[in-house]
Amino acid sequence: MGIMNRAIRNISRRKIRALLVIIALGFSMAIMVSIPAGVLANQQTASTAATNLGNIITQTSASINQTSTQIDCSLAPSFSGFGFQDFGGSTTSGGSGFTAGQFGGGSGNNGGFRPGQFGGGTIGGQFGGGAFSGGQSNPMNESLYSDINSTISGVAAVEPILQASEGQNVTTTVSFNGYSRDITRLAVNYTIEGIPLTSDLVDNYPILPTNITSGSNLQAGAIGEVLLSENNSAYFNAGVGDTINILNQPFTVVGIYNPSAVSQTQTLFMNLSDAQAITNNTGYITSLAVFAENADAVSGVATSISSLHPELTVTTDQARLTQLQTLQTTYNTELATAQSANSQTYSTAVEEIIVVVAATSLIVLFVMLYTVKERTKEIGTLKAIGFSNSTVMGQFMLEGILLSIIAGLVGIAIGTVAAPTLASALLPSVGIGGRIGPGIAIVSGTTRVSGLSVATLSPELILILFGVAVLLGTVGSLYPAWRAAKIRPAEAMKYE
Amino acid sequence: MSKPILQIEKLNKSYILGKRNVPALTNLNLTINSGEFVAIMGPSGSGKTTLLNVIGCIDKPTSGQVLLDGIDVSSLPENQLYKIRRDKMGFVFQTFNLLPYLNARENVELPMEGRLKSKSERKKKASELLEMVGLSGREEHRPQRLSAGEQQRVAIARALANDPAFILADEPTGNLDSQNKQGIIKLLANLNLTQGTTIIMVTHDSQAARNTERMLLLKDGKIVKEIPGLHLGKKNQTCPHCGGSIQTNDDICPNCKKAIYASDELF
Repeated sequence: MGIMNRAIRNISRRKIRALLVIIALGFSMAIMVSIPAGVLANQQTASTAATNLGNIITQTSASINQTSTQIDCSLAPSFSGFGFQDFGGSTTSGGSGFTAGQFGGGSGNNGGFRPGQFGGGTIGGQFGGGAFSGGQSNPMNESLYSDINSTISGVAAVEPILQASEGQNVTTTVSFNGYSRDITRLAVNYTIEGIPLTSDLVDNYPILPTNITSGSNLQAGAIGEVLLSENNSAYFNAGVGDTINILNQPFTVVGIYNPSAVSQTQTLFMNLSDAQAITNNTGYITSLAVFAENADAVSGVATSISSLHPELTVTTDQARLTQLQTLQTTYNTELATAQSANSQTYSTAVEEIIVVVAATSLIVLFVMLYTVKERTKEIGTLKAIGFSNSTVMGQFMLEGILLSIIAGLVGIAIGTVAAPTLASALLPSVGIGGRIGPGIAIVSGTTRVSGLSVATLSPELILILFGVAVLLGTVGSLYPAWRAAKIRPAEAMKYE
Repeated sequence: MSKPILQIEKLNKSYILGKRNVPALTNLNLTINSGEFVAIMGPSGSGKTTLLNVIGCIDKPTSGQVLLDGIDVSSLPENQLYKIRRDKMGFVFQTFNLLPYLNARENVELPMEGRLKSKSERKKKASELLEMVGLSGREEHRPQRLSAGEQQRVAIARALANDPAFILADEPTGNLDSQNKQGIIKLLANLNLTQGTTIIMVTHDSQAARNTERMLLLKDGKIVKEIPGLHLGKKNQTCPHCGGSIQTNDDICPNCKKAIYASDELF
């Protein structure tokens, strides 16, 4: 019947009190378990958020400096929605034409293509039933625009583009109020986009699609090679490595991409010189993409182009630029918020742990003081029958420590289960947008920062906290045990 | 048998109550020999509890000498005194003071913890002592399952655990009914006779006191009278007045018809 045995019996003798103490201490311990776990999780969240935001900010900056420095230049579309009759074709329907820009076949050149002869003298056909391929520009003589690069400051690069679509004219009859009219439009099979595959443009500017699903992208200087969209691949029934004929010229398919915009679904990419050659348009282009040196230079460059070439329609991506700049500001703010929230987490955690540690010690202190007071006579008896002060003190220390150990185990059990809940209730949220605790994915607008798993408790953390529990029990029991040791044995003589 | 086990000389003990110095014991001299069965009697406030506390090394004298088994305990520090309490004496309390969460045997084993290392030895000795006080078979019972008299027997067994020089009993019959009172006094007297245990008993119960060998009457911190007792258990008891033969429980001598212990004689 040793001191340990007595301590255990004393704890179990007052079951309800022991239970209350264990619950109170257990809750304190659970908080102590949760806070460091929460801090770790928050730290992880903040660092993940910071990393992701950092990447997004970098990407946004890159987008601002690349995509949005793009200035599109083209001649004004001729007629909105209506082109001209395929003059060379004998019939208005079923004729196979090839249009560059918004323009039907050239005059007299059956099946050919003659950009730049817009409005040429043979517009004798029925107006109104022309081929329609919407949104494309009129042909431009490439050499006329070389001054953009050479005379306008702030221009980093110029990308001349030739865009041409192949399809069939389809005529439909529209009836209205007793009148009827045939409308012919071009059903596009594919659109060629010829771009200069210089290493500067390929390496530094977003001139090619990026989402390659098979094969590889076009390389600088590629000739006789083509990058197909997924729709193109189906239309030509061709995959990577196959050779296809485009306007009777063989091309090797180097890769297939997944278009990022609806307007690109039928667009295939090739070298500008190839495109000009097969469409018989050497020296002609349909648009220019001018890249300004930076986002700030965009409007100045656009103005200069307009004054140099008033015939051009100059379009900047100001809306997207503004959007990206706004996003960048938002991300920067959120990054700062995440970082400050993270540092706030630490200070809050420290404050709360101090409070909990104090509370835990006080619980042990008061319970043990009460126990000592309640058992004054027993202590007096023990001392009268020959127990030393140190034995009595040890007895009460052991009781307090045992209680703390049990409470510590309970606390760790509760804490393991309830850590995310407790931590998110006790700690400031960390993350982007809204209140986000550990274990919750962070969603902000369209940006999703990776979610975190539930705060996990490492064995080291559990061991440390267990040590803290025992330490608190020891500290809390010290004074009551000392009080017990000081009780005079004469107390044993007192009649209740 | 005549070796002194307790010698008190010129013992003074006073308490300080506020600013007043309250004397509890004044110039008290007392010698108790080994094997004696002594009752200390006196009205409330006479100093009998103080005297018991000083003898039991749980209170220190203001001045004077207390020799316990030849050791001067009046000057010993607490870290020595607990050993004296453990090894030299056994306490028996009015309220028994058993630990409720320990069974009878474990209670008896308590004082042995500091001395007997072997668990089995402690267990054996405790069982023997419980048998001696008439509680064999009740070793595993906790105090709440024992009667008041049985609890006091356990307490006496506990007091004997370390073969003490003497037993200090503070009102051992104070909480007992008359039947149990008789039983406990008989037990103490038997221990004194058969084991030679020295017993110092504080009581205000004259019925219990007269069954000891010697009664000391305390008044205002001094021993004012010593009266020889009947010593229950000894054969051939005689009337202190006429010398005629009397029975243990007789209040009045059957021969001379005098009260054997008149109350005015005691106090």
